[in-house]
Amino acid sequence: MIILSLLFVFTLMFFLKSSALLSFADPLRSTSIALGFILLFAYLFGKEINRIKLPQITGFILAGIVCGPHIFKFLSVTDVKDLQLLDGLALSLIALTAGGEMRLARLKGRFKAISSVVVLQTAFIFVGFILLGWLLPSLFSLQSDGVLPSVFVFALLMGTLATATSPSTTIAVITETRAEGKLTDLVLSTAVFKDFFIIAIFAVVLSTTKFLSSPLQGFDLSFLRHISREIGGSVLLGAVIGGGIILYLKYIKKELTIFILGIAFFTYQISQGYGYHPLMICLIAGFIVQNLSPLGEDLILALEKVSMPVYVVFFAISGASIELPALKNSWVIALIFVLWRGVLKFSGTYLGARLVKEETCFRKFGWAGYISQAGVALGMAIVIERTFPQWGTQFKTLVLAVIAINQIIGPIFLQKLLIKSGETGRKSQN
Amino acid sequence: MRAIYAFGILILIAFLGSRFVFRGKRALSPFNFLFFSGFIYVFLGLYLGRHGLNVLSPRVLTGLTPLISLGLGWIGFLFGFQLEYKYLKKFPKKYIELSLFQFLFILFFVSPVLLVMLRWLYPSTQMYLLYGLAVSLALLAGIHSPTLLNAVSSSLSKRGSYFFLARFLVSVGGFWGIMGLALIASFWHYPFFESGIILKGALILIISTLIPALMGYFFHLLTKKRISEQDLLVYLLGMVFFISGAAFYFNLPPLYLGMVLGIVFSNLTKMHEKIYPLLLSTEKPLYITFLMLIGALWEFNLNWYVALLVFLFITLRLIGYVLPFPFFDKLLRFSPQLPFRFGLCFFSSGGIGIAFAVSLKLAYPLPLTDIFLSVALISIILNEFFGLLGIKHSLWRMDPQA
Repeated sequence: MIILSLLFVFTLMFFLKSSALLSFADPLRSTSIALGFILLFAYLFGKEINRIKLPQITGFILAGIVCGPHIFKFLSVTDVKDLQLLDGLALSLIALTAGGEMRLARLKGRFKAISSVVVLQTAFIFVGFILLGWLLPSLFSLQSDGVLPSVFVFALLMGTLATATSPSTTIAVITETRAEGKLTDLVLSTAVFKDFFIIAIFAVVLSTTKFLSSPLQGFDLSFLRHISREIGGSVLLGAVIGGGIILYLKYIKKELTIFILGIAFFTYQISQGYGYHPLMICLIAGFIVQNLSPLGEDLILALEKVSMPVYVVFFAISGASIELPALKNSWVIALIFVLWRGVLKFSGTYLGARLVKEETCFRKFGWAGYISQAGVALGMAIVIERTFPQWGTQFKTLVLAVIAINQIIGPIFLQKLLIKSGETGRKSQN
Repeated sequence: MRAIYAFGILILIAFLGSRFVFRGKRALSPFNFLFFSGFIYVFLGLYLGRHGLNVLSPRVLTGLTPLISLGLGWIGFLFGFQLEYKYLKKFPKKYIELSLFQFLFILFFVSPVLLVMLRWLYPSTQMYLLYGLAVSLALLAGIHSPTLLNAVSSSLSKRGSYFFLARFLVSVGGFWGIMGLALIASFWHYPFFESGIILKGALILIISTLIPALMGYFFHLLTKKRISEQDLLVYLLGMVFFISGAAFYFNLPPLYLGMVLGIVFSNLTKMHEKIYPLLLSTEKPLYITFLMLIGALWEFNLNWYVALLVFLFITLRLIGYVLPFPFFDKLLRFSPQLPFRFGLCFFSSGGIGIAFAVSLKLAYPLPLTDIFLSVALISIILNEFFGLLGIKHSLWRMDPQA
């Protein structure tokens, strides 16, 4: 029945967007139909993909790619841009869920493992990419008539971006597979922790590469002040919002759907406006509700109720926004980077886990949980593009190709890891 | 201000406001009813719009127009979902006949008088536009809503046989008006056809009906087996967004498409007990957001022409509802008899009336439509006040057993 419905929705959209009806239509008013279509199509596609043991998220992303501006064009570039307004809402909901899922009792004693994995993964990727630049410098040259970055600068930036993982995808796959257990907690908390860590590192790398690209400007240490303000402010805001949620759940507990949506929406908008980190704020808020009150489950239930439609659109739109022409032009180099990143992730995770005597399953397969890339890496690529206008766009195009591949294969790897660990489906049983 | 921030403000007000709308038993005073019914948010929207704080500026509103379209589709769906054949057939056939006769009488009584007045007021406007405006206002006059009746009856504990007949009529009455809206939007489709009006109009009407009907049918098949609440929510949102979006894309009335979807889905599915809580949980915040957007969209211009049209509209509507009841009574042989004052139960147009007016405003971006919206909104709000008095007067006197 799902296949039939998929065909029906697809055919209907094909008919409505056909040239026969174009004279009746107003192409500037296509965002709402695009939203409805992608919500239905991506969700059904995700369900169908799930039958062949692939994560639903991969289905959402693939549906976005297929229906996006480069293949069937059911979603125009403008539609994709308009619907990206939902990104903030989705990211906040995802981070609230992540925070709410992190139980202090279960994390106790794991901080050593988390920091070991994060530090070694990061170190391996940085060194690995610099090494690759030294061995194969032709891979690190961009096609541009203007000023080009040095191989070292290129490798350093690529290394930073390669370290980033997508915590949103991690959380979404964990939620979908209803996984629960030691390995799940470790993968999730490492992915989230790494997100903060990499943002701080990125600020340092950006200042360093700016200095290396134009040494006359001098080394700018102001980033340290920015980082401390951003992190300190975010933690404080997160604590305040977490406290507010607790009070609301305790004393009012009505209209939860709109309350949760409102919190997610405003947190994202306010934090963006004042330069704070929305993911961190929501994560801390969720963490506080879960660990400082008995209302964590109520929050998770309310989040589960509202978040699915937002997730579907978020991942489908992230698929639709993948620059297929960029992938077409640079897929060979992108593929080499993806493979090399995978090798480095494996080595870093293996050694990091071994150092703190983690279980064999995590040592061998834990790397599979850190492949996907999305918002954070994309955001950093955009900052690089703006910081280095001479070659930033070409750099971003290559990075987009890498992200596209990682975002397609990442959820599949993570799902396989969770199945292998035997922790999937536990949540529903409980 | 960016549309995204304005949207945030709307969410906040909707969240706070939903705690006060349709709550409590304070509906008996007209002033309280302004809060109870949510119409206060139309004025709040007006204040937030270009005539006030300009938070919902024309540019922001353009960005939020898809949201209005989605709101209209959702209201249409909610309305259509109530029209379940299994439920309707429990009532005598003459109830439906009465509803149709009532609507037709209003349509053919109100539209010619309004047309004459419009020709006198706007002599330089093209005739087909004036004709369209007169018919639109007459269709609006034929729409009524059950909110006021339910509110008054619950606070007065009046539930006699007249009440049940009146509730049936106000519940289904919107159907005819929305059908009329579909006909207008198809055969007077904007931008107006220069040739092949009948053929193109018929094609548009068929598309407007087939898209939601097919969608409803397929999703009934999809939801026939046991599905989770999460699946249901995604399907419902997807369906309503899709058909509202299709309506917006082709400049069709989302209210009609939503209604057809609601009717088809409601008559096929057996999951009413699962769907109603889902719909109800979103109803109030969505309604408030919708009312505020409409307020902001309103080009408020209360001049003598508009005042005259409002007066005429309300008077014609009053006559049109009160006058024919003894005639209908003779025609359909009701027991107990239907006196003149029974017509006083049908003043309120409620949210469905507003949705109808806005559907037209969105479908026809013309200066004349702004006049229509002003007349419609002012009349709807005034009718709520008169309706309150009318229902009390009517039900109190007619239902001695209650």
